[in-house]
Amino acid sequence: MATTATITLTSADIAGDPVNVSKTATCTKAGATTDLDQTTGLNRVHLRSTTNKVLLAANAEGDNLAAKVYVINKATDPTLYLTITINAQTVGKLYAGDWMFIPWSQTDTSASIEVAATNWTASTGDIPVEYALFHEDTDFLTNA
Amino acid sequence: MATTTATITLSSTDLLSDELALTTSATLTGHNNSTGVLAAIGLSRITISDTSETTLFDASAYTDDKAHKIYIKNTETTASKSFLVKVGGTELGRLYAGDFMFAPWNADTTGTDCDVTITPSDSGMTAEYMAFID
Repeated sequence: MATTATITLTSADIAGDPVNVSKTATCTKAGATTDLDQTTGLNRVHLRSTTNKVLLAANAEGDNLAAKVYVINKATDPTLYLTITINAQTVGKLYAGDWMFIPWSQTDTSASIEVAATNWTASTGDIPVEYALFHEDTDFLTNA
Repeated sequence: MATTTATITLSSTDLLSDELALTTSATLTGHNNSTGVLAAIGLSRITISDTSETTLFDASAYTDDKAHKIYIKNTETTASKSFLVKVGGTELGRLYAGDFMFAPWNADTTGTDCDVTITPSDSGMTAEYMAFID
């Protein structure tokens, strides 16, 4: 059940020489060569909350198991960004079109991945957010 | 203004009963604007001789509340060798052998510095990392 993630980072002009970094990873279970075999599938929500909302609720049973999270901000307005928070720690902001792919420990139930449409107003429109989780915790249910 | 793109492809022919094939590209821009990110920390490589927590990106060295992006890769090939990644002391997750991550980072220094650190599971492990700076 191989799931692969390939990243390519390119720029012709951010440095004196071109940047071209590419890497493919096969998503495996923790400390093993066995493939991840669970996924939430690709989900889509329309976010309008300026305060944190749980995107993926941590399951303590997932601690020390492998999990990969993909999130993308599908907005096109560059001023509409998502603030990503884990365990009350702001990780960063995803601007229009930005995506992230990170490991997720689910150390405890406080480790949920939360998002906020920080500068959303009634006139800006919603922020479409798509996300997927690839993992090995058989008891994990999306938004349970 | 530089044009920098980050592309990801997620694919599987057998995880689900239907094939998974997702590709998306992002042009990396600044905070609240359409201007391309202006600087990069080139691809760097570090071998950590012990199992101590090591700072890859020190938040105090960057402007906070910006659209920085970070990339970290575990170059090891032994499955049991992982790096524990933390941001501002909060555990994100573990990068197992061959894994990479790409994430936004706002380099916040309000309260706890939002440093990015890695802790290897074994001594002598090697990671590669780079950043795009707003």
